[in-house]
Amino acid sequence: MSSRRTRSRQSSSSRISEEQINDLVSKLEALLPEASIRSNSSASAARVLQDTCNYIRSLHREVDDLSERLSELLATTDTTSAQAAIIRSLLM
Amino acid sequence: MISSSSSSSAPSSSSASASRIKLRPGPPTQARNKWRTGAQERIYGRRLVEALRSSRAGRSAAAGGARAVKEAADSALALTARGQSRWSRAILFGRFRRRKLLLKAGGKVRRRRRARPAGKFAALPHPPAALKGKKVRDRLRVLARLVPGCRKLSAPSLLEEAADYLAALEMQVKAMRTLADALSAAALSPPSPPPPAAAAPEPEN
Repeated sequence: MSSRRTRSRQSSSSRISEEQINDLVSKLEALLPEASIRSNSSASAARVLQDTCNYIRSLHREVDDLSERLSELLATTDTTSAQAAIIRSLLM
Repeated sequence: MISSSSSSSAPSSSSASASRIKLRPGPPTQARNKWRTGAQERIYGRRLVEALRSSRAGRSAAAGGARAVKEAADSALALTARGQSRWSRAILFGRFRRRKLLLKAGGKVRRRRRARPAGKFAALPHPPAALKGKKVRDRLRVLARLVPGCRKLSAPSLLEEAADYLAALEMQVKAMRTLADALSAAALSPPSPPPPAAAAPEPEN
């Protein structure tokens, strides 16, 4: 399938080499949480992209949930000295 | 720095076209390692707290409180990225429409050489063999919608941005969860049980 040698030859102008793409795709794949479960052979690009989209969506959802939680926490309790101490201990 | 591994193979025709991709040299896990360091998390945590404090001072956490928190978190995340990635710039520009905030980030914002509309490069019509096929192109489009500011990017840039964004999001979730857990543990004298948000997959190292 990859008989597009001509493309890689023109990679200087505006073509992107296949290697680069595969490299980036595998980079993404390594970031996904199920990377260890999957077999050693690389998944197809479509599959990696789909998993990436799903993962980003789930992370967005988590951020939303955490924002809810944080806003409730910050609303109910004023910035007491205990809170400030905790925050400080987290950041140092 | 090693420039051999995966960078574009034509350094001769520099300036415009070839350097557009300007892949960062280094191991493939560089994006994740960058965001995984404790230092990054601390920096982000500090910014997050600052943002939360200032947004609280402005308005009481009413029904819109969650959204304010999320925006503060996203802005803090984008700031921590120091404007070096397209998605972070998109977030910052979107929020404040001013470069003032970027200057505030310590002047370390580095603009890529090309202007924002990347129309000329639109690789979608001519993808390499690995990225042909309707399925892949559709998924790329979906991904471009998810990552802020990447709608018109070429395929490799989009993939790179997505990797960075993903690692950054993981860090954001981790930091926010830590903060929320600590605050809720302090708010109630008996330690509160962990929230159902823990059902999300924990990123393996």
